[in-house]
Amino acid sequence: MGRIWAVAVNTIRQALRMKIALIFIVLLLVLLPVLGLTATGDGTLKGRLQTFVSYGLSLTSLLLSLLTIIVSVYTITSDIEQRQIYTVATKPIRRYQLLLGKLLGVVVLNVALVTLFAGIVYGVVVFLPGFYDASEETLRQIDNEFYTARAGLVPAAPDVEEEVTDLYNRLERTGQLREAYPALPPDRILRELTLRKQLEKRATGVGDGLVWEFQNVRPLDPNQSIFIRFKYDVAVEPPNGLIYGRWQIGDMRQVRYGMDFKTPIWPEDRADPVRTFREIEVPARVIADDGYLAVGFLNVPANSTTVIFPIEDGLEILYKADTFTSNFIRGTLLILFRLIFLACLGLLAASFLSFPVAILFCLVIFFTGTVSGFVLESFEQLSASAWQVYSYTIGALVRLLPQFDKYNPTAFLVPGRLIAWSMLGRVLLLMVGIQAFVLLVLALIVFSFRELARIVI
Amino acid sequence: MDYAIETISLTKVFSDWWGRAKAYAVDDLNLQIRYNEVYGLLGPNGSGKTTTIKMLLGLLHPTKGHALLLGGDGTDPKINRRIGFLPEESYLYRFLNARETLDFYGRLFGLAPNVRKMRIEALLEMVGLRAVASRPVGMYSKGMARRIGLAQALINDPDLLILDEPTTGLDPIGTRQIKDLIIKLAERGKTILLCSHLLADVEDVCDRIAILYGGRIQAEGQVRELLQQSGRRQIVTSDVSDEAVNKIRGILESENAECEITSPMEKLETFFINTVVEAQQQARPTSGAVSTTQIGEFLMAEKSQAGILDKLVSAPVSEDKPAESPATQRIQPSEVPAPEPDRNLLGELTKSTPPAATEQVGPAKPAPSEVAEPQDRKVRQGVLDALTGKTPPATTERPHEGPKDEEAAHG
Repeated sequence: MGRIWAVAVNTIRQALRMKIALIFIVLLLVLLPVLGLTATGDGTLKGRLQTFVSYGLSLTSLLLSLLTIIVSVYTITSDIEQRQIYTVATKPIRRYQLLLGKLLGVVVLNVALVTLFAGIVYGVVVFLPGFYDASEETLRQIDNEFYTARAGLVPAAPDVEEEVTDLYNRLERTGQLREAYPALPPDRILRELTLRKQLEKRATGVGDGLVWEFQNVRPLDPNQSIFIRFKYDVAVEPPNGLIYGRWQIGDMRQVRYGMDFKTPIWPEDRADPVRTFREIEVPARVIADDGYLAVGFLNVPANSTTVIFPIEDGLEILYKADTFTSNFIRGTLLILFRLIFLACLGLLAASFLSFPVAILFCLVIFFTGTVSGFVLESFEQLSASAWQVYSYTIGALVRLLPQFDKYNPTAFLVPGRLIAWSMLGRVLLLMVGIQAFVLLVLALIVFSFRELARIVI
Repeated sequence: MDYAIETISLTKVFSDWWGRAKAYAVDDLNLQIRYNEVYGLLGPNGSGKTTTIKMLLGLLHPTKGHALLLGGDGTDPKINRRIGFLPEESYLYRFLNARETLDFYGRLFGLAPNVRKMRIEALLEMVGLRAVASRPVGMYSKGMARRIGLAQALINDPDLLILDEPTTGLDPIGTRQIKDLIIKLAERGKTILLCSHLLADVEDVCDRIAILYGGRIQAEGQVRELLQQSGRRQIVTSDVSDEAVNKIRGILESENAECEITSPMEKLETFFINTVVEAQQQARPTSGAVSTTQIGEFLMAEKSQAGILDKLVSAPVSEDKPAESPATQRIQPSEVPAPEPDRNLLGELTKSTPPAATEQVGPAKPAPSEVAEPQDRKVRQGVLDALTGKTPPATTERPHEGPKDEEAAHG
């Protein structure tokens, strides 16, 4: 361990004294406070906060990612190209200890830098409202929507498999299948039909209603509010663009079974514009003791159209599940996991490539990782045969890489969404425990068996 | 029989991208280097010296054959622990200063903090870099980098020292110093593999040499055997009268022998060192030749800090390594003619530095036959011993340094 640590300390010294890290550190130290002043967003205090968190963390994450790639590649390739490795590898240290020492150095450096810069971002975010003469109302809104870690529950997708199978068979028997979907393979047709059926379940005609049931709604503080976030879609555009809805939120089982009301049912009549996100604030005491909550919507006769709640984002329950601070810490950990993966990637690349090639290799992987969600989604849009070719070749490769965009902390912190410990654990296991670990093992094997005195050109 | 270094038909073929053999860097090399031997590997550029060393240390993989270091594998940490290696250039971290460099390598050997500290200070003293120890190594001149490289190779008190071109970049005084160090280390029971194309270096210090060309040994043997011209004799006298010379010539001619009588030439090296030392004593400013003055300081320091070398190397073989004694068939240094005058030279140098005695420079110059060895040895004994935990006989001579070193050595 003493030897590994000696190498780690040397790696940190190298990063700092060769001015690689220094440039990034100075850049961030200058840019972060500047961002705090210039990031205004939509002009509101909430917009300011959101923009700053978004830019600040993204910038920190991007620059530290680049720094990690450069340092982890440089520390190996420069040792080999400038041949310090001759004097180091001939000392009583195993090759794997040498590599682990380098990794430890990069990780320790990253932990220190992430802590420093996330600390700056956090400090600005916490103290920023103090500089503005914000009204009580604004502060309350920010508390509810920004300084929070809200968990979101979406209704479970209804089980439509049986209906879809029935429909499919009927269409096939009657020969309408070829007519309706001329070019699609059977699995794609099934997918289309499933979507159609599910959407049917989320639409309601005039005078009719919908009820969604949720289990396990557990707000941090039962005296606070929960929020129903929803978006209307319509079959026919209403003349004034508004949809009138009667909502009832609470433990509906009490109504169904005629029990005494232990928890209240919250009624709300409101008019909301179509295709716009709206939130209903409801006191958290409407939730049953066992975490059950039902949300009912009645399409009142004042509307003259079918109302649809889109499948993707039509309805969601939001409640404060944790504090902003601990959510922010988890967001910072997400960045750190990404950096650990990149450090292992850099070590692997450097173990068999020269400096410029290794850097290029890592950057390609890094940027693929940051757009992997988009890449995978775009495959879905391709025609059937092309889709299959891509999904089994490039798609498979992309799926092996970590999805940086999916686990981007700003995507959670800006809308005040909860980064659950369970998700953090999953990312840790996948990105660090499996993906980074595999890279590290490969790097150890390559590095242990290669001829260190042979220069890679 | 055990060897400190043994290679068994060691071969290295460098091949191109398609796997076709391009060059035989080392070709079926069989080296057998005994314990406690100073072995010189000679050869022109590209003859395979460095490739051999890299294979010994596991930096390159042999295409064929085996390389054994101290009876084991050169990549085994147990073996590495006992090896010191100075590569052909001092490949060091430019961003570390001399002290940090030695500390880093000391940590790689897992040396205890107090031992590490003591050895670092003693080594810095020995190679004369204490004054610049906090300057980044990247700013060092080539000679200074070579010195810190050497110090790095000695940090673990190695049993086997592999030196690849140790004197490149050093001026004659530094070269002299390293050669002297090699002899001293050999006397302390170390095995040294010296790789060089500077013939004078090898000739002065090696017991046995091998000449490599095209990756093969072309000649191998004891330096004296290889160089001695059988059928010729040399007589060296003090300044005698022409009359006596003619008499000798007469005797030789009666024996029908050819003879040539001249005044012996001083070696340029000796002349150079004496000139520089003289200049230093007159405090003549030098224009830019920084390393020269520093070497001067080093020499002076060695005088006052008596016996640093002694500190650095473990004491006699008999006590430390009984197992090796039978295997040790060291050629007595006195049998080899070359080292003798060199040791005298060092004696002169150390004697002639101030405040010792300025007048000694003069008489010392033309007296290569007088052995100044005892004094020289006394000067260095203390440091060598202190570094390995033996009570240095010389520590009493330098009371201001003694207690600190002793404390560290016992800790």
